[in-house]
Amino acid sequence: MSRQQSINSSQTPTPTTAQSPLSRSLKATGEEVWKRTEKINAELFTLTYGAIVSQLCTDYGRDFVKINEQLYQMGYSIGVRLIEDFLARTALPRCQGMQETSEALSKCAFKVFLNITPRVTNWSSGKDAFSLIIDDNPLSDFVELPMDAMEQLWYSNVLCGVLKGALEMVQLDCDVFFVSDILRGDQQTELRVKLNKILKDEIPIGED
Amino acid sequence: MAIETILIINKSGGLIYQRNFSESFASKLNSNDFLIIASTIHSVFAITSQITPKALQITQNNVDYVIPYIPMVGMESSNPQQTRNANVPVKLGSYKGPDFFKEPFISWNKSGLRQLSTDQFTMYIYQTMTGLKFVALSSNVLSTNAGTMNGSIDKTKAVNVASQVADNFLRKIYCLYGDYVMKDPFYSMEMPIKSELFDKAVKRMVNNLL
Repeated sequence: MSRQQSINSSQTPTPTTAQSPLSRSLKATGEEVWKRTEKINAELFTLTYGAIVSQLCTDYGRDFVKINEQLYQMGYSIGVRLIEDFLARTALPRCQGMQETSEALSKCAFKVFLNITPRVTNWSSGKDAFSLIIDDNPLSDFVELPMDAMEQLWYSNVLCGVLKGALEMVQLDCDVFFVSDILRGDQQTELRVKLNKILKDEIPIGED
Repeated sequence: MAIETILIINKSGGLIYQRNFSESFASKLNSNDFLIIASTIHSVFAITSQITPKALQITQNNVDYVIPYIPMVGMESSNPQQTRNANVPVKLGSYKGPDFFKEPFISWNKSGLRQLSTDQFTMYIYQTMTGLKFVALSSNVLSTNAGTMNGSIDKTKAVNVASQVADNFLRKIYCLYGDYVMKDPFYSMEMPIKSELFDKAVKRMVNNLL
């Protein structure tokens, strides 16, 4: 399931210093694999997701805390499966640290599935947490939140679940959460990824 | 390469998929035997990673784990008798044809068991980063005759090529797994695979390899 994008729209260039060979090849891999996947209609995807969130609001009686949690769980179930699809498609080697992980996420993973390239910023002092700034979130096209939702609902919380599930399957226990969201009136949509620990015991034998 | 059996083993060592593709020794084993075989493979895989020769461990950085891309392994070959013409792309699920991937890739399996050659069969193992193992049993026997100097170099090349073909093939099975098993909403993780679409796709690939 990948997002269709018109040829005219341009990608915002990531403000970086000189790109390392690894990041260049991640970008190339992302583009290549994106070209080789079957796409579905972007509006269908956006509207289906909107319908899901809307139905959850009805089902949980507008208890947005529960809705956020449910979106996160749905995302988690998607993430643990999506990682296999991603690894089969790209066969990327294991990332050597959070720096490489952030590059793989933004240049390859988001590109392959949503055709967006979030910017990586706000590194923590221990280099184990970073933020992804999403410039045009395909899930929230055409969306306006009502007043009560604006205070509590993280509309794209499914993305947090997907990242958590996928990273857990490659033995990275992370906390993923939204910091700000344009739909809530903030300046930008920011997703924070924080590494808790590397699950050393679960690393498959034979990888070293 | 004639594939007899394909096994998929989950990260805990349990067998989640097993299919025989020809009537031979494999069909004399019942499903219980295969469960035992799968757990044995899983354990032996772990043990072999411990007995990597010291020399190899020291020169770890110099070993090349890149597997070259071998075109059209397991894909439908251009057969003049087939009505499908070159302009119609082959349907590969969520992949745009003609093949699942086109680049060489690095093996995730650095010190585990990758190939087991016996005088009856050859077994190839492909392990993913998530701990899933794809095992292919082939009836092709890799020659073990001690030959001249040239003969043994050719034999090594043949062994390498066979291993690379198997890695390419098993990665494509992994692609099919990602498409037909992972995206099945009724499939529970780590449980036995019961998917007709997956069976059909795997059978098609194995037939193309003959």
